[in-house]
Amino acid sequence: MQATRSHETRTRRRVPLWSPEAPLIWMAPAIILLLLYSIYPLIYNIWTSFHKFDPLVRDFVWVGGENWSTLFTDLRALNAVRVTFTYSAIALSVQLTLGLAIAMLLDAGVYGRGLWQSLLILPMVTPPAVVGLIFRLLEHSEYGVISWVLYSAGLIGRQEPLLGGTGQNALFGVLLADIWQWTPFCILILLAGLKALPTDPLEAAEVDGANAWQKFWHVKLPLLRNVLAVVILFRIIDLFRVFDYIYVMTSGGPGQRTETISYYAYQTYVFINWGYTATLGVAILVVIWLTAFLYTRIFHVEW
Amino acid sequence: MAAERLTAKPVATTPKVDRLAWLRDGRTWLRTILIVFIVFIFVFPIYFWFLASFKPFGLIFTLPPVFFFEPTFTWYSVVLGGVPYNKVMLELTGALTSTGGGLYYSVPYIIDSIIIATISTLLVVLVGTPAAYALSRFPMRRRHDVAFWILSTRMMPVVVAAMPFFLMYRALGWIDTYHGVVLVHTVINLPLAILLLKSFFDEVPFDLDEAAMVDGATRWQAFYKVIIYYVLPGLAATAILSFIFSWNEFLLTLTLTRTSVRTMPVAASTFDTATGGTEWGFLAALGTSAMVSVFIFVLFVQRHLVRGLTMGAVKG
Repeated sequence: MQATRSHETRTRRRVPLWSPEAPLIWMAPAIILLLLYSIYPLIYNIWTSFHKFDPLVRDFVWVGGENWSTLFTDLRALNAVRVTFTYSAIALSVQLTLGLAIAMLLDAGVYGRGLWQSLLILPMVTPPAVVGLIFRLLEHSEYGVISWVLYSAGLIGRQEPLLGGTGQNALFGVLLADIWQWTPFCILILLAGLKALPTDPLEAAEVDGANAWQKFWHVKLPLLRNVLAVVILFRIIDLFRVFDYIYVMTSGGPGQRTETISYYAYQTYVFINWGYTATLGVAILVVIWLTAFLYTRIFHVEW
Repeated sequence: MAAERLTAKPVATTPKVDRLAWLRDGRTWLRTILIVFIVFIFVFPIYFWFLASFKPFGLIFTLPPVFFFEPTFTWYSVVLGGVPYNKVMLELTGALTSTGGGLYYSVPYIIDSIIIATISTLLVVLVGTPAAYALSRFPMRRRHDVAFWILSTRMMPVVVAAMPFFLMYRALGWIDTYHGVVLVHTVINLPLAILLLKSFFDEVPFDLDEAAMVDGATRWQAFYKVIIYYVLPGLAATAILSFIFSWNEFLLTLTLTRTSVRTMPVAASTFDTATGGTEWGFLAALGTSAMVSVFIFVLFVQRHLVRGLTMGAVKG
């Protein structure tokens, strides 16, 4: 990072826009692709959020801020927000803690690391829709293996099975699938980050007599900051939009116990309340954007 | 050319090792036992699913779970062998339960998935690596804002992005085409790829570029003949992730395709609903064969790229 600054002052300006010394030509294909695919959906959804689809005339009619005022008094949306935040907070903290711990364990040296690392990829190569099905089988209230283990351990009662009953444990049931699938993602990226760490600062710390914990907290963690930021931001973005698991495992139920914002948006779509679908979509986008923005500010993520 | 010399990668040194040290290292054994336990937990659901794909009709739902049984290949014969669904169901249940399941032969879906994931991964690497390099190296006044914007293109919930994508594709005539699906998968994977690669490029000392350029390399040569070798582990991780995310993508592919392009997750979803009930045996067979094929691919890439890495080890 420090090197960047001095480099910048030396070569700043007087570089033609299209020269290979300027970033434009290197980034142009990526930027064009991203622009093409992000602007239209954004404009479309903002426009739609001020309209309502009228089945009689089969077209969108202008309703002004109606969808938006509905949003702020909609108890079902409030519930969905609460479910999404609970889900995301638990999933993120568990995945991150486990991911970092296991990555460090692998990095510290184990026998047959390649094998374990490869096996840990298995959960990731299973499409979320299929993961949902696998966990539905494992969490089946009567025949599921996970249910069976949890009943035997007395952790949950038979009248409150994982995905059924009054839905007391339903969110936990879905979270198990999410955590199972995404912890390996955190492990893989953090491990790559750990392996790419420069050795000098660690050796310096060792010379200074730092213990393992100090080396982790004061040397490794700060050096991992950028990789960690990527993992956390992408997890936050995907968790706030979580859909597949809910769709396959619970359909938002029982009741609305597991209905996330994305799933609620999908429900309004199914019921042809398309203006409101777009409103919910834009609202999620704004919430994600703000969260990511605050994260980069609070943790001083400087790209 | 002076640039020829620059292809020399950093040399790995092989330190003298005590060949029996590993036997004596108790702490490494302790860590290994712990990791075996962790890996077991993560692999168990897959193993159970794998077993289900060989379980005879009626053994899939039992308690306590059955782990030893005489395997059946019924499910695979339909999913991979193309045996008609109705014939199998007639033998199993003695009655024609439904007329569905005509599309259970899944080899084409797996091939489609492989084609789409491979090409979109190549595109992601091809487009994303230079962008990440530029983002890491060049003076840019609003670097942070550019990176944040790239990240923000991923923030639109897929559920609501699907509709405008559909309209866009219908206008372009790209519905149900390979290039349409490939491009959309490329775009959804680019943000992660660029930011991840940038963080790997950042770890490589900037002096290396300068040294290469002092030796007569152009910026482009410094990039693809020198710097790229230092980020190979990162590049491997990024490529594997892009492949996996493309492989797993469901909702957008479902929206943008009909019948001539069909990826494995989309096919799996038709298994679930086409005949009214969930058909676990067929699903497990499809899931397992898809998983095995992609797993082999990932192993190959990982092996290949890790070998490239040890040839020019960044770190011992």
